[in-house]
Amino acid sequence: MSRWGMVIDLDKCTGCQACTIACKEENNVPHGSPQENIRRTEPYWNKVIAASSGEYPSVNIEMIPMPCMHCDNPPCVQVCPAKATYVREDGIVVQNFRRCIGCKYCIAACPYGVRNFNYKDQEEKEYHRPDPAPDRTDRGPWPFPHRTHGVVEKCTFCFHRIDDGLKKGLTIGVDVVPACVEACPTKARTFGDLDDPQSEVSHLLATRGSFRLRETMGTRPKVYYLPK
Amino acid sequence: MENSFVALEGKSRGYYLAVAVLAVLTLAGCTCFGISYVAGHQVFGSSNVIPWGLPIVLAIYLIGLSAGSLILSSLTYVFGREEYKPIARVAVFLAIVLIFGAMISIAVDLGRPEKFWRLFMFFYLNNMTSMFAINGVLYGGYFVISIVYFAFIMASKKSVIKVMGIVAVCWAVLVHMGTGAIFGFVAAREAWVSPIKPFEFLAAALTSGIALLIVVSMLTLKLTGRDIKKEIVRSLGRMLVVFIVILFVLILMDKLTHLYVPHREATLFMLAGRFSWIFWVLQIGLVVVAPLAILVHPRLGKSMGAMFVASLLVVVGIFFERYYLVIPGAAYPQHYYPGNIEGVYGAVGYFPLGLPEIGLSIGIFALLGLVFIVGLRYLDALPPKPPKPIEEQKEAEEPVEPPAESASAEAE
Repeated sequence: MSRWGMVIDLDKCTGCQACTIACKEENNVPHGSPQENIRRTEPYWNKVIAASSGEYPSVNIEMIPMPCMHCDNPPCVQVCPAKATYVREDGIVVQNFRRCIGCKYCIAACPYGVRNFNYKDQEEKEYHRPDPAPDRTDRGPWPFPHRTHGVVEKCTFCFHRIDDGLKKGLTIGVDVVPACVEACPTKARTFGDLDDPQSEVSHLLATRGSFRLRETMGTRPKVYYLPK
Repeated sequence: MENSFVALEGKSRGYYLAVAVLAVLTLAGCTCFGISYVAGHQVFGSSNVIPWGLPIVLAIYLIGLSAGSLILSSLTYVFGREEYKPIARVAVFLAIVLIFGAMISIAVDLGRPEKFWRLFMFFYLNNMTSMFAINGVLYGGYFVISIVYFAFIMASKKSVIKVMGIVAVCWAVLVHMGTGAIFGFVAAREAWVSPIKPFEFLAAALTSGIALLIVVSMLTLKLTGRDIKKEIVRSLGRMLVVFIVILFVLILMDKLTHLYVPHREATLFMLAGRFSWIFWVLQIGLVVVAPLAILVHPRLGKSMGAMFVASLLVVVGIFFERYYLVIPGAAYPQHYYPGNIEGVYGAVGYFPLGLPEIGLSIGIFALLGLVFIVGLRYLDALPPKPPKPIEEQKEAEEPVEPPAESASAEAE
């Protein structure tokens, strides 16, 4: 069985947020007002944080794109009382909206802050623009046409794309990748099978130094970072 | 000595007035809940940084008081202290009402309250590694055990009462340690994670329980025109001192261990940050310093009024201990990456306490008061009163009111 993972090259990342927007578009993640953004009630399945260190003139600012880490040992799965979040066979941590009771325990337990609560119903016309919604028929199934408030949601590694691609016999990581990987203009992200020694992610991890976020938490994430 | 028990008459104007006021407040709370259900949790103060708000504060606070009430009853039914018998039935009934309120509080805090039943699909639909699921077993069992215990007490089945009392008190201890584990076992939140948390919660529950016992028993006995036996209150006061000291030691240990390297920054934020005044003034001040000063004072410590005030301070202060743990405890941002995280992801979370949340909390207290005084009318839980029928109804509403008034006043 494959074990999907992602490698993000921080040397290439420019912090353009294209992954954030592509994710919102792909997964129909609701948008929020600036006030909601500051209050942290707007859902982001993928976020880009900026970490600064040092003082002028020796300042270093690093942009860290953070999707869900899809840990091998996920604290959110441990604490979910309703079995609403679970690890699939291929290692993707997914959330079942129909089972989720909205207790928010997983939000408290996630060390990466990637889980988002749905604080309100999605508006019919989020952009208030006259043009019609983009045609998505060429992109296969759309897993989240509508969502309800009161449940927790998170990044899924675009499992609908992966499942669809596997059915069609495409190579995951080359022909089919998650939306954020597809959208990255600098090709900083690579997606593939960590268990397959021929995959590009395995090649990158073998040839370059890598690290994962907050490894001391013992969560064993499947998102690796290549340092600057 | 055999005490007989009677139900509340509940015919006076004051009783109906109390029922009406509490019913209106409950309806207001229901309206607030309806708003939050329809509009989503955006009307609450919680966010993806501070996931839990006032309802969870209420839940753990009410569970603590409930455990305390049960322990009061065990003094009579397990340890055979007949002095406390006049208020023992009220205490068990109060414990049932309070745990009911705690479960209501948890239900209204869920994003999808209609799926509350999922928490009670023990071992079948539940993931039993979750502290919430384990606590579902504990709370549900506690509710059932308390009701069975109360039923045996009402039926005066002496042989069974003692066994049930022991089971109920042990279960109450488990319930409270489980509640502490909800917070103590979350490794991601630096201010929460601690193996001491279950014990700290237990100590806080016993402290607030003993304090509530003093408040309730003094009010009940006084308002029903009975003599307060000063020795009882003083012995309870000495117990309260011991429990306050234990609680203080546990809080101290918790903070001290956290001051060592891995959690240092978050603990400094808790001790000296933006919200630290809640800790120093409302938690340490109200729970530890002021009551200890009163209880240990050579002259004040013997005065019944001062002892009452000290106990009330503890009951109020424990509410702020819960508040401080749940809301500012989650506010400190997590270190996703070394360095100084810029923007909203590195900012301390903030919690706008809105009207729906406060109304909901007041509504929960009002519902509990309503259930309590209506229940007293139909259950033979009160000791028989000698003369005045007017005071009987007063005493009925008092026991549950002190926490209600204090908590709702502070929430505003």
